[in-house]
Amino acid sequence: MASLREDPHLPGRLFIVEGIDGSGKTTQLDLLHKWLVSQGYLVVFTEWNSSPIVKRTTRRGKNKKLLSPVSFSLIHAADFANRTHAQILPALKAGAVVLADRYVFTAFARDAVRGVDPTWLRRLYSFAVKPTAAFYFDVPLTEALQRLAGGRLRLKYYEAGMDLRLSSDPEESFRLFQGLIRAEYDRLVDEFGLVRVDASQSLVQQQHEMRGIVKRHLAGVTRNDHGRIQDALRQAGLTGRYVRDGAGAWA
Amino acid sequence: MTALTFYGQRPPGIEGEVLPGRLIVIEATDRTGRSTQVALLKEWLEDEGYAVLDTGLTRSDLAGPGIQRAKEGHTLDPITLNLFYATDFWDRLERQIMPGLRAGMMVLADRYIFSLIARAVVRGVPIEWMEDLYGFALVPDLVVYLDIDVERLLPRIVGSTGFDYWESGQDFLPVQGMFESFVQYQRLLLEEFRLLATRHDFKVIDASGSVAEVFSALRSEVERLLADMGTDPAVHPQASSPEVSAR
Repeated sequence: MASLREDPHLPGRLFIVEGIDGSGKTTQLDLLHKWLVSQGYLVVFTEWNSSPIVKRTTRRGKNKKLLSPVSFSLIHAADFANRTHAQILPALKAGAVVLADRYVFTAFARDAVRGVDPTWLRRLYSFAVKPTAAFYFDVPLTEALQRLAGGRLRLKYYEAGMDLRLSSDPEESFRLFQGLIRAEYDRLVDEFGLVRVDASQSLVQQQHEMRGIVKRHLAGVTRNDHGRIQDALRQAGLTGRYVRDGAGAWA
Repeated sequence: MTALTFYGQRPPGIEGEVLPGRLIVIEATDRTGRSTQVALLKEWLEDEGYAVLDTGLTRSDLAGPGIQRAKEGHTLDPITLNLFYATDFWDRLERQIMPGLRAGMMVLADRYIFSLIARAVVRGVPIEWMEDLYGFALVPDLVVYLDIDVERLLPRIVGSTGFDYWESGQDFLPVQGMFESFVQYQRLLLEEFRLLATRHDFKVIDASGSVAEVFSALRSEVERLLADMGTDPAVHPQASSPEVSAR
């Protein structure tokens, strides 16, 4: 990953997932998250477009349709920068396993489709930490669209790429937009060495593949050896009426 | 005519080659009387028959409110804050400055990318990253830099609203005391401004004189720029009254 920052001294690990909408990446990351927690790792989760300081501005831009390709790109970079400095870097320094739902490749793919210069984008995001492993969930467009149609498909203006004027029909626009993004991801797999996961496989097969790769990178990462609340309760013969299981100490 | 020249690559969605207006930038550190000079210049230009649009940092519809909110918390790292400012800058470039120039207006910018670059660089952000970031900025027709020494600046601070957290670099300088921090921060900033002035060929005006003296020097610079506009009917006198009218 030529353009991203490599820091071999960070004790933590960073795993990220990428893919078009409906590729199943969030489901897989969620399964990985639960497994890592059960193994005693300190896990920190972060997702695209979620900085408490920046996301109000992004929402304002989206709601009022103020965003052009460049401002769309910049405000998402601001969100990512804030999460990098306030969330991802401190967690990696503390030795945590950081899981990111979408990373810089989302910007590289989407913004390039919107006509933003790829070289400029890579320089813009040069402060980003290079992931330990980056998974790309590769799914045929028709399959992704079928999955979405089965669940949520209330398309918003920018999600559907309506600003690109590909089609006046939101569903058609979304289909064309996702197709273009998918083509960009294909290029990024080679450029940045993303791990391509065949997202047409069964969920359990995909998770197995993912865990196999993650496991290889976990040697030396701190595990919590204080035992879980449930263990303490069991040993003391208590029912645990006043302590909630897991979440509090581990989330 | 303002030729559409950018510091880096031409950004997407920008059409045309030449715009009939002019982009004039006034740069300076805080409390140099910069905003007063911009106001005077606006008044004079309108008196001369030019339509004027003025703009300044954080005045975008998109990111202005967000930046104000973020700065209240004093918790932002410089990269995030810069990207916030860059969003604000681009939104104004695209939706205020360019339409103004297209309509043949005189666009006055109370600070441009140079203040942003100087402030970021003294906070340790690499200058290459900043210059790449602002590659999408339009090259102005004229950049006037109001130059002043810290020693001359101090009485103005004490005599007005006093020292400010950000203007004293208290977000990053390990210096005890507002006064000491202010002096050190402004020294660093002025040094950076002077480097930028040389590199980007600013017209430098001594800002230590009276308001009238500074304005007279500023007006001379602008008059020189306008000399070649007399034959340009799209600009002088006003040919159109665009929606973005500043009045």
